[in-house]
Amino acid sequence: MYRIRFHGRGGQGMKTASRILGSAFFLEGFDVQDAPRYGAERRGAPIFAYVRASRQAINERGVIHHPDLVVVADDSLVPVPAAAVLQGLDAHTVTLINSHTSAADWQQRLNLAGPVLILPATEEAEDRAELPFVGTTCAAAAARLVGVISRDALAEAIRTELGALGSQLVEKNTEAALQAYDLMEPHAGTVTEGKAHSASGYARPDWIGMTVEDVDLAAPSIHAAATSVEVKTGLWRTLRPVIDYDRCSRCWWVCSTFCPDSAIAVDADGRPDIDYDHCKGCLICVAKCPPHAIEAIPEHLAQAAEETNA
Amino acid sequence: MNESRFKRMKDLPSTHLLGSGTPMCSGCGGLEALHEIYDILGPKTVFVNAAGCMTLLAVYPFTPFRGSWLYTAMASAPAGAQGIRDALDILIEQQRLPVEEDLEVVVLTGDGAAYGMGLSSTSGAMERDLNFLYICYDNEGYGNTGQQFSGATPHAARTATSKGPHGFAGFKKDLFSIWAAHKPSYVATVIGAEPLDLARKIEKAMQLKGPRLIIALAPCPTGWDYDPRESADIGKLAVSTGVWPLKEYVDGRVVHTKVPKQRQPVEDYLEKQGRFAHLFEPQRNEQLLQELQNSIDSYWAEIEH
Ligand SMILES: Cc1ncc(C[n+]2csc(CCOP(=O)(O)OP(=O)(O)O)c2C)c(N)n1
Ligand code: SF4
Ligand code: SF4
Ligand code: SF4
Ligand SMILES: [Mg+2]
Repeated sequence: MYRIRFHGRGGQGMKTASRILGSAFFLEGFDVQDAPRYGAERRGAPIFAYVRASRQAINERGVIHHPDLVVVADDSLVPVPAAAVLQGLDAHTVTLINSHTSAADWQQRLNLAGPVLILPATEEAEDRAELPFVGTTCAAAAARLVGVISRDALAEAIRTELGALGSQLVEKNTEAALQAYDLMEPHAGTVTEGKAHSASGYARPDWIGMTVEDVDLAAPSIHAAATSVEVKTGLWRTLRPVIDYDRCSRCWWVCSTFCPDSAIAVDADGRPDIDYDHCKGCLICVAKCPPHAIEAIPEHLAQAAEETNA
Repeated sequence: MNESRFKRMKDLPSTHLLGSGTPMCSGCGGLEALHEIYDILGPKTVFVNAAGCMTLLAVYPFTPFRGSWLYTAMASAPAGAQGIRDALDILIEQQRLPVEEDLEVVVLTGDGAAYGMGLSSTSGAMERDLNFLYICYDNEGYGNTGQQFSGATPHAARTATSKGPHGFAGFKKDLFSIWAAHKPSYVATVIGAEPLDLARKIEKAMQLKGPRLIIALAPCPTGWDYDPRESADIGKLAVSTGVWPLKEYVDGRVVHTKVPKQRQPVEDYLEKQGRFAHLFEPQRNEQLLQELQNSIDSYWAEIEH
C-alpha cells in the first residue's frame, strides 16, 4: 500500500492535491482513500492531507503515521512543531520539499534517514493569484515518484477535480503539473509501497497515570484580556509587508485601520509599526497605503536577510 | 442625538482593542469589520455568539476580547442575550452591580444564523424590545462549514452547494427590511472598507436603547475566492457599484448614508471574485450579467428619484 502525506497551509490546495493524486491512482485501478485534516484554523495555518492507494481493499483508517512519501508544499512549515511534518519518517520515507534550498542542505539540517528530493519553488509572485496552485504541482510530482501513474491519468484527474473552476484554470494547472511530473522523471519509482500493517501487530500505547488536579488547576478561570496574543499567527505568513519609513506620510493610519488582525500599532507621532509575531501576511495594508510605502517581500527572503544581518 | 465625534478619518481610533492572534483567515473582511466595531464599542461589552467562523475567536484559553463571551446554539443568540440582559438588570436593581459597570450585550453571528436559523429568535427579541446590539457579519454563505449557500447568498454566486454554470439560483434576502419592519430602535448596514461610515453608525447605536441591529458585509477571501490582499478593495467596490447600499433605519425612516455618485458597473465587483468566474468564462454570460446590473439599477432608481 502507498501512504502519502501532503503538508501545506490552508489556501495552498493540499486537499485538492490529495484529491488529484487519489483520483489519478483510482484511474490506474487502485483502491483509494484521500482526506484533508485541519483544525479550527484556516487559510494560512498549517494543514495536511493524505492518500492511501492499494491494489487490495484498504482496511486502514485515520491519519497516516508512517508515510512512504511526505510532500511539503511550503518549506517554512518544516520547523513548525504544530505542522508535524517530520512525524513518523524513517529510512523508507521519501521527503519531497517545494523549496529554494538544495536537497543537500535539507538533508544536513534535518538529518533524515531517507532520501530528500526538491521540487524547485516558483518565486512567490507579487500577485498570488498568478501562481498556479502549488497543490497541483505537488500532486503531479508525487504521481511521478510512485511510478505507477501515467501522464494521461494525471491530466484526467486534474480535469475531474478542477473542472468546476473553469477551463482556463484547468489548462494552467495541467501545464504546471505536467512540468513537475516530467521534472521528477529521473526519480520515477523512488517511492515504493510500505509494508502492510496488521491489527495483530498493533502495540497498545503504555498507560499514562494522570493525577486528579483541583478544579482551579485543571480548568482555571482566566480573567486576563486579549490572551489571543499568545498565539503567534505570524508563522502563517508567506509574504511580508515592509514599511519604507521615508515614503510613509504618517497618514491617518490607513494601514492600521484596515489590518484585520490588529497587527499594526501607531505611536503618538503617527509612526506605524508592524507586529511580525502576528501579521498573517494578507497584504491589505500594502494594497491600501495611500503613498504606496509598504512593500511585500517573500518571507523566506526576509528571514534570510535577517539572518545575514544578525 | 449628539453630533458625531467622527468627522474625518483622523478621528478614527489609532489604537485597537481586539487582540491579535485569532484563528480567522488571513485577510478576513469580517474580522476587519469586527476590529473596527470593537474600537467604538469599547471593552464594556459582553458578546453572545452563534456557531460560525467567529466562534473560533474565543477558544479557551485564548480570546481576543477584553470581556466575557457566551456561546449559544446557532438559532438562539438573541435568546442568550435576553438572559444576560435580564441578569445584569437584576444585579443592578439589587445593587449588587454598580450602574457604571453595566455592560452592552452584543450578539455576534454570521449570515447563516441572522438570515436563516436565528431569524425567529431575533424577531422575538425585537418584539420584547430587548435592549441589545446585534452584529451580523455577512460573508454570504455558511463559511465555517465550507461556504454552502445561505439566505444571504447573492444570485448567481458559486458556492459549495451551487456549482452549475449559473451558480446560486435563489436571491439574497433583504434582511435590512425584514428587521426594519419590526420597528426596532436602529438598523444599519456597514462595511469594514468604509470605516468612517461604520464608526458613526456604531456610535449612534451606542447612544440608543432597545434593539439595534447592524449588518456588516464581510468580504471573505476563502469563500468568495480571491487574493486576501483585495479584501478592502472588494469591499469598496461593493459600495461604489451599488451592490451594498450603506443605509440606516432610525425614527421610522430609512436614510442612505452614502449614495455612489457615478455607480461603477457591477462587473467591476464580480470579476474580482472566483465565485463569479463562470459569468466571464469560458464565455461571457451577457444575459445573467445584465440581470444582475438591472436589479441594482432598479434598487437605486427607487432611491434616487
Ligand atoms: C443547529 C446547527 N446546525 C448546523 C450547525 C453547523 N454549523 C456550524 S457553523 C455553520 C455555518 C454558519 O454560517 P454563518 O452563520 O453564515 O457563519 P459563518 O460560518 O459564515 O461565519 C454551520 C452550519 C450548527 N452548529 N448548529
Ligand atoms: S499584511 Fe498588513 S494588513 Fe495583513 S496582517 Fe500583516 S500587517 Fe495586517
Ligand atoms: S498607510 Fe502608509 S502612509 Fe499611512 S501610516 Fe501606514 S505606512 Fe504610513
Ligand atoms: S471563511 Fe471567510 S469569514 Fe470565515 S474566517 Fe475565513 S475569511 Fe473570515
Ligand atoms: Mg456566513
